[in-house]
Amino acid sequence: MNTIDIKINERSLKVLPGITILQACRDNGIDILTMCHLKGLSDVGACRLCLVEIEGINKLLSACTTRVASNMVIRTDTEKIKRYQRITTELFFAERNHVCSVCVANGNCELQELGYKVGMDHIRYPFLFPECKVDTSHQYFVMDHNRCIMCTRCVRACSEVEGAFNWDVKNRGFQVRVISDFDTPWGESITCTSCGKCLQACPTGALWSKDVVQGQLEKHPEMITELVEKRKLLLT
Amino acid sequence: MTKKKIGTVWLGGCSGCHMSLLDIDERILDVARLADIVKCPIVDGKEFPKVDIALVEGSVTSDEHLHEILHIRKQAKLLVALGDCAVMTNVTGMRNYLQLNEVFDTAYVNAISNDQSGTVPNHPALLRLHDKVFPLQEVVNVDYVIPGCPPSADAIFYVLFEFLNDRVPDLNEVKKLKYG
Ligand code: SF4
Ligand code: SF4
Ligand code: FES
Repeated sequence: MNTIDIKINERSLKVLPGITILQACRDNGIDILTMCHLKGLSDVGACRLCLVEIEGINKLLSACTTRVASNMVIRTDTEKIKRYQRITTELFFAERNHVCSVCVANGNCELQELGYKVGMDHIRYPFLFPECKVDTSHQYFVMDHNRCIMCTRCVRACSEVEGAFNWDVKNRGFQVRVISDFDTPWGESITCTSCGKCLQACPTGALWSKDVVQGQLEKHPEMITELVEKRKLLLT
Repeated sequence: MTKKKIGTVWLGGCSGCHMSLLDIDERILDVARLADIVKCPIVDGKEFPKVDIALVEGSVTSDEHLHEILHIRKQAKLLVALGDCAVMTNVTGMRNYLQLNEVFDTAYVNAISNDQSGTVPNHPALLRLHDKVFPLQEVVNVDYVIPGCPPSADAIFYVLFEFLNDRVPDLNEVKKLKYG
C-alpha cells in the first residue's frame, strides 16, 4: 500500500495518505487531547483541543480535521499548544455553570478529566453565569444546558448513527445552544426515538437519564464507536 | 527553626473543607511540630492575626466576607484558597444568575419549609449579602489554590507540609487535583 512520510514530534513515520493527523497520532501511540472527536462520528473541529503546529503554517490547526500531507512536519507537544489547551479548558468551565459537586457526572466526566490532564487548578477568566435551562420534559432523559460545552457529539450521534436528527444547534458564540427539533421541549419531539445514544456520546453532565443521581452517572461513549464498527462489518 | 503560624477561616462555605482539614488525622502532629494554628473558626472571635499561611474556605458573598478577606490579605504572607467555593464559587455561586430578592424569596417566602410569614431576616447584627458571589481571586491576590469539594485531606496535608518545609507544592504533579 502507498504510504507517505511525515514527522510528528521528531519521529519519522510512514502513514496512509488521506488520514487525519489525529488518526496518524493515535495509530502511532502519540498522545493528543480531544473532546469533540468521537471515533465513529464525523469530525467537526469544534473544541480546539487537538491543536497541532505544522511547519510552514503560522496558525495552529486541529488534528482531527486536518489531513496528513507528504513531508508534513508536525508537533503536538510544544509549550504553545499546552498553553492554548489550558486556556480552552478554562473557558469551557467559565462559560456556563459547572458545579461539579452537585453534578450527575461528578467523578465520571470527560471535562473534569481534561482539567486534570492540563493541570488546571483554577480558572483565570471571570465566570459568565448565564441563565441556562434544564429541559426535563422528556419521559426518560434530561438536557441540562448548564453543563453543555457545545462539542456537538450528541448532534452527530443522533443524525449519523441513529438517523433521527432530533438535535441541532441554534445561535452563535455565547448564545449558542443545542436544540431539540425546532427549539421545542425535548419531550414534545416527533423525531427523538428515545434511543439514548446522545446520552452516551455526551462527555459531560449535560445529557443524562432520569434514573441517575448526583455523581452516579456512567457513560459509555465507546458504544457509539462499537456500533459504527459493527455496522461496517454487516455491510462487508 | 522558628515555628510558623497558620490561621484558617471560612467565609461563604459549608465548613466541609475544614472537616477535610480535620481528616488529616494524626498527621496534625506533623503540622504541629512545624507550626502553631493560631486562629480557626472554632476558637474565638478575635481578629485574624498575622500568619504565615492563611487557609481560606468559601467565597465572598457579603459585606462581612469582603471586610474579612481584605483584612486577611494584609495579615497573611501566603493566602491559600481552600476548596471549590473559594477557588471558583461552586455551590455558593449558583445564585449568581438570579437577582438577590429572588434568592431571599426562594429561601424565606416561597420555601415549603418556612413558617409562611414571608419575613426576610433583617437584623443589624446579620451580614449583608452582596448581589453576586465572587471567588477569592476576584477580590484579593491569591497565592495558592486547593480545589475540591471538599479537597481531600491528603491534598490539604500535602500543601501544608510542603509550605511548612519551605517548598512549593504542585498538586498537579502529585496527581491531587480534584473538582467536586
Ligand atoms: S459536566 Fe463535568 S465539569 Fe461540568 S459540572 Fe459536571 S462534572 Fe463538573
Ligand atoms: S449536550 Fe453533551 S454532547 Fe451535546 S453538545 Fe453539549 S456537551 Fe456535547
Ligand atoms: S477533537 Fe479536534 S477540535 Fe475537538
